[in-house]
Amino acid sequence: MVLVPLVVAIPLVAAAALTAMGQFLGRRVDDLTGIAAAVATTVVSTMLLLRSLDHDLVYWFGGWRPRHGIALGIAFDVEPLSAGIAALAGALMTASFVFAWRYFDEVGTLFHVLMLVFLAAMNGFALSGDLFNMFVFFELMSVCAFALVGYAIEQRAPLQGAINFAVTNTVGALLLLFGIALVYGRTGALNLAQIGRALDGRPPDGLLVVAFALLLTGFLVKAGAVPFHFWLSDAYAAAPIPVCVVLSGVMSDLGLHAVARIYWPSFSGVFAADAGSLRAILVGSGVLTALVGGTMAFFQRDLKRLLAFVTIGHVGIFLAGIGLLTARALAGTTLYVLADGFVKGGLFLAVGILLRRARDGDELRLRGQGGVAPMAGVAFLLGGLGLAGLPPFGTFPGSALIIRSAGDVGYGWLPPLLAAASILTAGTVLRAGARIFLGLGDTDDPSLSHEPPAAEEEPAHVPGRVSPPLLFGPALALMVVGLGLAFTPGLAGRATQWAQRFEDRPAHTAELLRGVAPRPAGTPAFHPGAAPYVYGAISTVGAVGFAFFGLYRRRLPALLRRVPGRLTAGPAAQLKALHSGVVGDYVAWLTFGAAALGGLLALTVR
Amino acid sequence: MSRGVRSGLFLVSAAGLTALLLWAVADLPDFGHYRGPYGKVLNSVAVGERHTTNVVAAVVFDYRGVDTMGEEFILFASVMGVALLLRNPHRERRQVPVRIQSDAVRLAGIGFAAGLLVLGLYVVAHGYLTPGGGFQGGVVLASAFVLVYLAGDYHAYRSMSPTPAIDVLGATGAGGYTVVGIVSLLLGSAFLHNFGPLGTTGKLASGGSIPFLNVASALEVSAAFVLLFSEFLDELVVRPKARSE
Repeated sequence: MVLVPLVVAIPLVAAAALTAMGQFLGRRVDDLTGIAAAVATTVVSTMLLLRSLDHDLVYWFGGWRPRHGIALGIAFDVEPLSAGIAALAGALMTASFVFAWRYFDEVGTLFHVLMLVFLAAMNGFALSGDLFNMFVFFELMSVCAFALVGYAIEQRAPLQGAINFAVTNTVGALLLLFGIALVYGRTGALNLAQIGRALDGRPPDGLLVVAFALLLTGFLVKAGAVPFHFWLSDAYAAAPIPVCVVLSGVMSDLGLHAVARIYWPSFSGVFAADAGSLRAILVGSGVLTALVGGTMAFFQRDLKRLLAFVTIGHVGIFLAGIGLLTARALAGTTLYVLADGFVKGGLFLAVGILLRRARDGDELRLRGQGGVAPMAGVAFLLGGLGLAGLPPFGTFPGSALIIRSAGDVGYGWLPPLLAAASILTAGTVLRAGARIFLGLGDTDDPSLSHEPPAAEEEPAHVPGRVSPPLLFGPALALMVVGLGLAFTPGLAGRATQWAQRFEDRPAHTAELLRGVAPRPAGTPAFHPGAAPYVYGAISTVGAVGFAFFGLYRRRLPALLRRVPGRLTAGPAAQLKALHSGVVGDYVAWLTFGAAALGGLLALTVR
Repeated sequence: MSRGVRSGLFLVSAAGLTALLLWAVADLPDFGHYRGPYGKVLNSVAVGERHTTNVVAAVVFDYRGVDTMGEEFILFASVMGVALLLRNPHRERRQVPVRIQSDAVRLAGIGFAAGLLVLGLYVVAHGYLTPGGGFQGGVVLASAFVLVYLAGDYHAYRSMSPTPAIDVLGATGAGGYTVVGIVSLLLGSAFLHNFGPLGTTGKLASGGSIPFLNVASALEVSAAFVLLFSEFLDELVVRPKARSE
């Protein structure tokens, strides 16, 4: 139990110590402190994961246990799914620090300080069981991330990306805060389980519908779901690679995890009768996000922006998974998030290696230039296959759980759409990898985004001798962990059991507020059956095919090329034009999304 | 999107959102009819349990002390972020603003600065007895430094607030709060669990470990505001050399 607060305390103390002392010590002290603190935090998170396998670890800060069932203080509620995401955050942060050792030529203590505080914030956000405390860590994540995105101040794009990120996310945070105030005004409670109990016994009314919509909006802005996603591609395309790894690998997914974390303990009771309409709304916006992200990824030539849209596409898949509102789908989504986080992290590091070795991050200009960093090519290939969900690696167990769960609740149409989304994202990554490392495809493709990506990237200084293992080591390590995670014995069944615990509101409330340990549950065995393998094979083969389509599209016979080309050109141009980079547009869309979400809930909730 | 389309989209959506918010607010309990248990319970137990006459301080530094730790680091990270974004290795000095010549302004300024300093220390020290505390007192303390700049000059302000030293103070405040929590752990209790003697309610020597947390946040907040002011002032006084804008 004593370990719980350490996931936040270790990085914070390290950050403060670095601020006080780092200015008097050398750069390597910063690097070592960062790595040591990130490793220690990862170890602690992993231990928490292992210790919470059978029951939640409920940690009351200040020792303020609930009195007569009323929570006085703030609790961290550690269960395996959330602890797993915290461990992912720590692992990605470790890889980023190792990579940054050789990646930056010039880097100040401030980078390490902000990264460490960012890690503490993500851990706190993942584990907190208190609505306002979640908001505090949400804001702490935001301020760190805003500044880190703008790290390369000499260039325009990072500052623009950071501003778009800061403005949209601050509006999102404001709506989130408004939602929290409404919930507190109704229930007089901030503890998630306590809120759920206070809402018992009355049907939902206008206040609850709007409050829930506002909370959803705040978290979906952070996650980057359509139409709240516009900031994400600007910010991730401009952030330094070590920051991208963490943003794309875990921060986006934390926003979605928060949706599950507030829904099950607090709102699943009061909205029980409306679960069907809520499911339709969440899955619908998930599918939309997945297809928009995947399509936009296809049109990118700037590798970082391409991966940013891949991130959006997968956020959509996760939103659909969480939105199914079943234990199996929640378990599947979390496993998917973990494997996918490592894979996306590895892909960003591979792009970082290219930026460092070839001084460029543009797919077309880099055609056939991949020879300078063959290991990055290996990472690209593995990453593309990992994103496609090649059975039985990486994301396969997660997607298998989601596929089966969709069938359980009568959403049989969902798996083909999700497969289509992963064909788009994985196929695009494979296309870029094949073009760069194998020299395949055309040298030019006018349908890709026209804007010339920044010629100089952040390590724009004299190319010093770079020790390759420190660059490709972390990238390959992340790939191996991400793809290998699937081989943990019995993982899918265990995760389903954890998710059932997560979603069992009465038992969870009793455990939190009264200290009643839940009855030990058996582990349901999970046999994926044939369908997930079929989908996995289809999306893998489809991704490879789509990659070749992207490479040699212009050599298709005229008949095959012209008619579909003419039909899709208009909508594609409009979709691209929507991603304008103008922050006013983004805020208008955000407002639209919040109103639409609230309106849809108001119309469907009885 | 063109300007018109954007405005149209925003206005229609904002109207919808406003309608939703009004619908929600209408369902809130009436003003002054707070219903929830949380505030009531805390109000009734805080003085007895924490020996602090300012219940807000008991909530902020103990019952919800970990929120405050997060908030302190929000301020800390914001200032570090500003320093990161405003850093510029290639700087040259510009003309430093003229020194204020009026003796009356300088005398009044110094008088106010001294007064503010004392007031700030008072607000910090009595944070758990009367309204106030580390956050509020910290801001008052920082404004005493700003007065030195206003009434004196840039050099006087800068020599009073050397950035490395202020960095150390701020980090000590932010880290110190966390370290107090870790001390509780080392003593075998929960993170941020009170370990000092509670003392006599209403006296300065009361509240257990709250005074430590209070001083830690005062350090962090005052240092943060001084650093922030220095950063923005440097933008004014010290211009980047070759910025192509």
